[in-house]
Amino acid sequence: MSLALQIAITGLAAGGVYGVVAIAYTLIYRLTGVVQFALGEFIALAVFGTLLVAAGTGPVTQTSVGGARFALALVVGLTVCVAAGTLTYLLAIKPYLDRGSTIGWVAVTVALAFAIRALVAAVFERPSYVFPDPLPFRDIGKSGVVSIGGASVQVRSFFVIALAFALAAAATWTLERTRPGRALQAIASDLEGALVVGIPVNKLVAIAFGVSGGVAAIIAIAAAPSAPFDVDTGTLLGVKGLVAAVIVGFGSPWRAFAAGLVLGVVESTIASANISGAELGPSYREVLPIALALLVVALRQRRDERLEYE
Amino acid sequence: MTARAGSAALLGQTGDALTAAARDARRAWRWPATLAAAAVVLALLAPLALDAFQVQRLAGWLYLALAAIGLAFALGLAGMPSLCQGGFMAIGAFAAAQLRAKGGVDPVTAALGGAALATAAGIVLGVGFVRLGRVLFAVATWLSAWLVALALAAFPDISGGAQGLAISRGSAAGLEFTESVHYELALALVVLAALAFFAIARGAPGLALSGLRQRRAAARALGVPSTRLRLGTFVASAAIGGLAGSLSVQLSGIADPAGYGAFLSFKLFAAVLLGGAASALGPLAGLGAISGLSQLSHWIGALEHLSTARFDPMITALLLLVVLGLGGAGLVPCLRALAKMDAAPAAPRAATSPATPCRTGAVLAAEDIRKSFGGLVALEGLSLEAAPETIVALIGPNGSGKTTALRVLSGTLAPDAGKLHLDGRTITAEPTRERVALGVVRTLQRTAVFEELTALENVLVGTALRRRHGGALRTVFETPKARAEAKGERRNALAILDAVGLGAAAATPAAQLSSSDQRLLMLASALATEPRVLLLDEISAGSTQEDVRRLVRVLEDLRRSGLSIVLVEHNLRLVRAVASRIVVLDHGRTIASGSADQIARSPRVRLAYLGTQHL
Repeated sequence: MSLALQIAITGLAAGGVYGVVAIAYTLIYRLTGVVQFALGEFIALAVFGTLLVAAGTGPVTQTSVGGARFALALVVGLTVCVAAGTLTYLLAIKPYLDRGSTIGWVAVTVALAFAIRALVAAVFERPSYVFPDPLPFRDIGKSGVVSIGGASVQVRSFFVIALAFALAAAATWTLERTRPGRALQAIASDLEGALVVGIPVNKLVAIAFGVSGGVAAIIAIAAAPSAPFDVDTGTLLGVKGLVAAVIVGFGSPWRAFAAGLVLGVVESTIASANISGAELGPSYREVLPIALALLVVALRQRRDERLEYE
Repeated sequence: MTARAGSAALLGQTGDALTAAARDARRAWRWPATLAAAAVVLALLAPLALDAFQVQRLAGWLYLALAAIGLAFALGLAGMPSLCQGGFMAIGAFAAAQLRAKGGVDPVTAALGGAALATAAGIVLGVGFVRLGRVLFAVATWLSAWLVALALAAFPDISGGAQGLAISRGSAAGLEFTESVHYELALALVVLAALAFFAIARGAPGLALSGLRQRRAAARALGVPSTRLRLGTFVASAAIGGLAGSLSVQLSGIADPAGYGAFLSFKLFAAVLLGGAASALGPLAGLGAISGLSQLSHWIGALEHLSTARFDPMITALLLLVVLGLGGAGLVPCLRALAKMDAAPAAPRAATSPATPCRTGAVLAAEDIRKSFGGLVALEGLSLEAAPETIVALIGPNGSGKTTALRVLSGTLAPDAGKLHLDGRTITAEPTRERVALGVVRTLQRTAVFEELTALENVLVGTALRRRHGGALRTVFETPKARAEAKGERRNALAILDAVGLGAAAATPAAQLSSSDQRLLMLASALATEPRVLLLDEISAGSTQEDVRRLVRVLEDLRRSGLSIVLVEHNLRLVRAVASRIVVLDHGRTIASGSADQIARSPRVRLAYLGTQHL
């Protein structure tokens, strides 16, 4: 029981992050038909941008950063991430979409991923970084860890889960209740129709492209203090979010979010699972979900290209 | 006695074939070939002048180039954005390392074993992925690369963990596998792979793949076996990548999992795009640019005592971004444009063209066809018969089900009910490709020529299904039969172009033809499949009156040559001029059929077209 509870909470906290990242992939895909292969690196850009302003590139402890400075850092990190996303779309992706060159934008996004990785790794040279934590979770329980029903869990996990749900709800609310959100939905369902009724498609899509990355970055920053962070963390987050988004075929934001949650729980289950004596163990944690996602893709065989009309 | 005569004749034939091949080779030989041959000879001699460390580095580079050429099969020929070539290298490398370190087999067996496992992985992934569109294909292969990288990290039993697997060089059949041996082997494999790529790109499979890459639907309508060709190129990619991996790991003596991450896949992908995906030397040029720049940065870094290895991904990425930003054709095509080597040689004219592009017609009979999409009934009780030397015209207002009817006849849509017969044989369940082989071919409603190909090449795409000796292997080895067939097909294609009046445009890129010429070219490509029943969807769209008159002549000739033709048309002047029989559809139902005069008098037709009985 206690083990199950622990698996569930750890899994949901990880899965909430995957889920929000999957929402970002899904929104971008449905608006533009683009899979943003550099999303994980854009998230890393925001996390390390925040870290740079908050504490520089030196060693950090969790408590060393004040609230005001952290708030400023957060604003800078997210702005950089959103601006980079928007500019990437306008300057590097849109030209290839206009030309109908899938290989072009695939190459650009993957190239950006590795360029950003190298840039971050050049500035932040140590193998991993502790992320400062302005919220006082460490004061609750035993230095931030409480025991619930025999399971010991980080208090931060509940915050991350709650924030993930809040972000998912906010994304849905924005899409359904606000004017720009409804315009985006119109673009996703009928591009030409949206153009005809005078929606500023290009501007909205470019901003949405950047903001999607920013939203994913928020949850990544919220979760960052839980464990040491390095540039690979961002990349792996990108891969897992993509796995979740692909499993539900870039369906709706809520389905992507749910897939992320399930992925998180499955991972933490595999990590501590024993199947009739043979330990599945952490080795399979990363591998099995991807294999499963690939199987789903192969079986679904949905064609994502607009097939020539015949 | 007869056996000896037979073998003498066979020898004579072989001799003739070789002489012919040599003559063609001499004719095709140009200065770049001399240059390339000289470069290869120089490269073969390189180990004499270099020390062991340099030879080892060059050999490693050549193995990487081999993997890049392998990727060019999928990426360049088939246009499949495969992001897991490094994964196939990894599979080959660790399989070979395991075989050497724990299995104790000789280097050659280990290399072949690694390549075999990578090939198997290529088949498994390919069967799952080649039918996906480009976007999902990129996603799936990207995740596959990560799967391999994460699996290597997760299972130290296989990968040797952080230390990797150490392997000794070893020897096979008395030959010690030194750096120099690896180097010569790598060079030979690179040359062979590049030549194979070159032969396939220019041969029948290359044209078919090019057609698929540009317009999948149009190529499939011509009977091009899409899935099989794409799977074949993807598996070839995997096999070559696996072989490169399983050899390079033995050269370096250590299998280090850190070297086989997603970046390796990206580096190979970037190399192919940088150099020019569609040319055999592109991957070499691209990889050369990447390695050259990274070497340069090492030298500059060394001046300042900086280690620059971690900037390599940045260099590769920025180089690719710059080249893509500049237009993205790649290095080799750019150089070629500068050297004006692409000036297309004038297409050889067919001196005496046997203008028999068609088999005799067949009777295609549709019986009580019904097709609905959800609640919309698109066709109801359609029966028609196309017979040799006749043209049946299907007319009707927009949305009356004409194109749906053609799609059912050609096999892209399965009818809900009803039967189709070709000369009495039931073909209702046959897929498009099978129907093209049987002689039922359709042109698409939209103008869908393969724009990057010349008119002649467009027509040759239509011959893909019919070739007996044009498979990939035979094309690579240029067997006499394959050569003879290719020549024959070329002559035949020119004759077909002449027949539709495009003979003079044979060497013109299809993109430069007028829209009505492009539609004639679609017709020519369809004729190249040697149809017995021709299904034409609005062949006159966008035509001027003069074009229509030309079309009337072409269609009349085709009909007289014995073809059965079904024509979906809006241009009633054309219909009146050529149709032996007219079927009028409205809301999926046949409201009239008969001769042009009978149709013109039918009150129901007037009602459907004009909405009133009183004109």
